[in-house]
Amino acid sequence: MRFHVVKRDSCPLWKRLALYVGAVAAALVLGGLLLLALGVNPVAYYSRMFTMGMVGNKIAYKSFENYLKVFVPLVLTAVALSLAFKMRFWNIGGEGQFILGAVAASAVAFQAGPVLPGAVTLLLMCLCAMLAAGLYGTLAAALKVKFGTNETLMTLMLNYIALYFLTFLGETKATWNFFLDPTSARPIFVSFAKTVSFPRIPMGKFGLNVCVLFTFAVGALVFVYLRSTKQGYEIAVVGDSAGTARYAGMKVNTIVLRTVFLSACLIGLAAAFKVGTAGILSTNITDDVGWTGIIVAWLAQMNTAVIFLVSALIAMLQYGSDVAAATVSQVDSSFANMLQGAILFLVLAADFSTRFRVVLEGKGGRKHGA
Amino acid sequence: MKKILAMALALAMTVSMAACGSSGSNSSAGSAGSAGSAGSAGDVSSEGNADFKVGAIYINSKSDTAGYTYAHNHGITTAMEELGLDTATQLVIRDEVLEDYDAVATAVDTLVGEGCNIIFGISFGYMQAMNDKAAEYPDVMFSHATGYMSNDTNFNNYFGRAYQARYLAGIAAGLKSLEMGNNNVGYVAAYGRQYAETASGINGFALGVQAVNPDAVVYVKELGNWADEVNESAFAKELIESYNCGVISQHCDSAQPQIAAQDAGVFGCGYNSDMTADAPNAHLTAAIWNWDVYYKTAIEAAMTCGGAENFVTAMGGPAYYGGLKENFVDVSPLNEATVAQGTQAAIDAVRELIVSGAWDVFSGVKLHVTVNEDGTATVEQEEAPLLCDGQELVDGALVERDAQVVEAGGPSVEDGVITGTMNYFVEGVEDA
Repeated sequence: MRFHVVKRDSCPLWKRLALYVGAVAAALVLGGLLLLALGVNPVAYYSRMFTMGMVGNKIAYKSFENYLKVFVPLVLTAVALSLAFKMRFWNIGGEGQFILGAVAASAVAFQAGPVLPGAVTLLLMCLCAMLAAGLYGTLAAALKVKFGTNETLMTLMLNYIALYFLTFLGETKATWNFFLDPTSARPIFVSFAKTVSFPRIPMGKFGLNVCVLFTFAVGALVFVYLRSTKQGYEIAVVGDSAGTARYAGMKVNTIVLRTVFLSACLIGLAAAFKVGTAGILSTNITDDVGWTGIIVAWLAQMNTAVIFLVSALIAMLQYGSDVAAATVSQVDSSFANMLQGAILFLVLAADFSTRFRVVLEGKGGRKHGA
Repeated sequence: MKKILAMALALAMTVSMAACGSSGSNSSAGSAGSAGSAGSAGDVSSEGNADFKVGAIYINSKSDTAGYTYAHNHGITTAMEELGLDTATQLVIRDEVLEDYDAVATAVDTLVGEGCNIIFGISFGYMQAMNDKAAEYPDVMFSHATGYMSNDTNFNNYFGRAYQARYLAGIAAGLKSLEMGNNNVGYVAAYGRQYAETASGINGFALGVQAVNPDAVVYVKELGNWADEVNESAFAKELIESYNCGVISQHCDSAQPQIAAQDAGVFGCGYNSDMTADAPNAHLTAAIWNWDVYYKTAIEAAMTCGGAENFVTAMGGPAYYGGLKENFVDVSPLNEATVAQGTQAAIDAVRELIVSGAWDVFSGVKLHVTVNEDGTATVEQEEAPLLCDGQELVDGALVERDAQVVEAGGPSVEDGVITGTMNYFVEGVEDA
């Protein structure tokens, strides 16, 4: 007996939602059983997780600020990746592009920070980060266009080059290395000047980082770009069929290069927001957004508005599990990671079954299974 | 996990391009759940401290059963139990926190939000975020291991004189080398001159070896990484085979060098914890940390100092740097099956000199330790300059320097150098 995976034509929205909710519930039940085995009350644990520990927290506003710090880079990266994915260009080099953006932004912060006003420096940081990340992404696109290389492998491998470059910067004490603190005998990254930091709009004790506003603005622009512009239409056509696009007289290579550049640029912007908020570089600066962003973009089916929703939920899951694990001595962050993984895996499995169905093929004729 | 899922998706996307046809099977790797529960002490907390909360930020998992994070977690829970605090309700831990500014700052916010009164951070890269957060939360006490930042009120750092324990382990290694008639001693180190922590450990050990065997040479092989089990074993083998080393010491997390020594039929000195169980036929003794000694002192001070602003004063200064005297560092019980005759007597005699404050390792006085026929040890003191090999590491390059570190009879090298800027090897240490 053989089986085939066949694409579904459509799946009603209510059915999709029911499957997603069912998947999350199944993961929570599974996690709940494991929690019980560890002697932890699952209800108490989950309520802490989903409220991100903000109930009864004397500095809950801080929790929300920190939650936004997880959310902003993730949503921007996912939006950026969706641009390329829509065109069926599988950019899994988000990590590497993010790192190059972060390094470029930091270089500007160190060189321009002491001489230029803060706002100008921040603007320059964003621009340089976008350029650096954009070019790094375009490298893989150019190789694909020119030599037909596989972009999935190429962007994946470029991730590691970027990562080791960053590690090299972080561990190499030398007179040229202005990224490190010269006063420390041990190599550590040095902080930017205090003026080089994205301002926060005070709302009582809570401070809203302007990056959050910019992120929503970028999201709106991308939404309009994909839906209502000629270039957005071209992306959709190339994604559906490069042959059709060519036949219609579109310059496919130009469109690929342009879109990948734009996609990587936005990842660079996410990196600039991240380092411009933290005020310092680190070898763990990406927080895995290049990977998580792929999951977000996929779950949201490249829909910009839905990406915001999914990012908000995944950031909540990520932040909430860390907080919940902190107060329960039996639960460590490995468990929190496993629970996150189980939820994502089952949701993706549900997602898979909304898009595809498995067709069993008997010895005789054809039988169709669900 | 997320990386695996993302990769699976990338694969699925590539496959889905080919529309229908191939039979797809999704594979996933599940990570193992955690086991083991942190020990919960009695139900009753001591009067008045029932509200006191300890926070901790770890680099690895709090349910580890060996290694650096385990050593700290064990130290904190032991200290809390001794002080009558309940580790189940009064200890809040954020574990697997990366050395990233935002990640550490967020972890601190979480712990402060949970009402922690004192927060310990155990990894070097947490320093800057903890420094800034100490200023932001003046009513919370902060304590950072291995770093050098602090303030005058609520933020201190702590580390220990591991070089003293290393010196004692060096005596055991030196006596063994005399017994074997092999002057070559090996040392697998995470780093060498780049970090004062590793350089002072290597130097302390080498001086201990030389105190009993002046002809010994310590060959150092650097991993360039704090944890790398594969090379920890491979480098030990190379030291044994290519450099003919008979005793292998180490500055790395796992017991691999000791196991390699056992496999080759030679001997070794471990680090961090007693590694006799890992290599019973090779291990002599290990330089170890008793972190609970510090944690008990710090938590006790935090509970009684009457306000976070008094914490640093109560701790006697911004940098806690305990040693053999405080029992913060020590050597593990000698493995009687392997050590040379008289090792215990020799170590005890030198320990007494260090604990009493009469002598310290990096000073202008050299010790000559000899084991007598009857198994007792004689320690002679000689005023002699402390010499290095005439090189130091500056910005990644070896440059020449004055070979004399301390003049004959001179005082010990300053603590700030031992913890921060020691970037040279003493005479008798060779790069391998």
